[in-house]
Amino acid sequence: MARRKVKAPVEPPSLVDYADPEPSAFASMLGGLIEANVRARPEKERDFEVLVARVGIFVTDIHEGVTLDFKGGRLVVHNGLRQRRTLTIRADAETVMSLSNLKIGLLGLPVYYDSVGRGVAGKLLRGKLKIDGLLPNVITLNMVTRIFSVQ
Amino acid sequence: MAVKAFSSEWAKEFKDEVNRSSVYKTAAKGWKWTVGLVVEAEPDKHFPEAKGIVMDLFDGEARNVTVGAASDAQKCDFVITAPYSRWKEVATKQLDATRGMLQGKLKLKGDLPTIVRYTKASQEMTECTTRVPVEWPDEK
Repeated sequence: MARRKVKAPVEPPSLVDYADPEPSAFASMLGGLIEANVRARPEKERDFEVLVARVGIFVTDIHEGVTLDFKGGRLVVHNGLRQRRTLTIRADAETVMSLSNLKIGLLGLPVYYDSVGRGVAGKLLRGKLKIDGLLPNVITLNMVTRIFSVQ
Repeated sequence: MAVKAFSSEWAKEFKDEVNRSSVYKTAAKGWKWTVGLVVEAEPDKHFPEAKGIVMDLFDGEARNVTVGAASDAQKCDFVITAPYSRWKEVATKQLDATRGMLQGKLKLKGDLPTIVRYTKASQEMTECTTRVPVEWPDEK
């Protein structure tokens, strides 16, 4: 009698790699958050597949940063800010968390008129949220926000 | 009157404080997962054995908060682990819980998008811990 081969369940390949042998807690958290978002939501996966950009995020009140290197369907997370970044977001921890709570509205644009959105916009106007490279990269920022958002 | 840190009396006071908070009630609407806090032992701080706090939280209400073994807390849907002195820093407002998690001072296990969606609720819950007067074992 022929034996049937039992196949072990295959884990999907990781979408996120870490450049450093010991990723910081912040790097692990952002990488884990983005991977969970992309796996759970097809519209985020579409953005993730096409996004090519290097995005720095620096948390001003803990003096820690990461660089998210989106490579069209893959993400490499670096501890700290690396060179040649497309965009760099600088804000305190609470604001970084608010960014991931921005709702996405019509045409895939972040919603800035609800309470979370107004808070983020207000911090941008008051200089408590700084985005280097914003003007030439608005479309990239919107894509990153969509991938990053848990809403 | 102050209660002993991470005792059953503390758990009751903490639960009452959460249920008094209208901010928590609104921010935690839709939450339906258990949360475990693991307080790791620090014998040199007179906290000789690890404890686990199991929080049964549902839709803006703390239904039950119990203190037991660390292994009970580790079975929860979300688990936050830190040594005794870190939790003391959180409860005395010396460490912001969000910053603590980003810095790896508080270790989080569980679905990240869910916990991030409820950042405001978790911040208010931290505020509730700061409102419970506590007798700390290393301050006797």
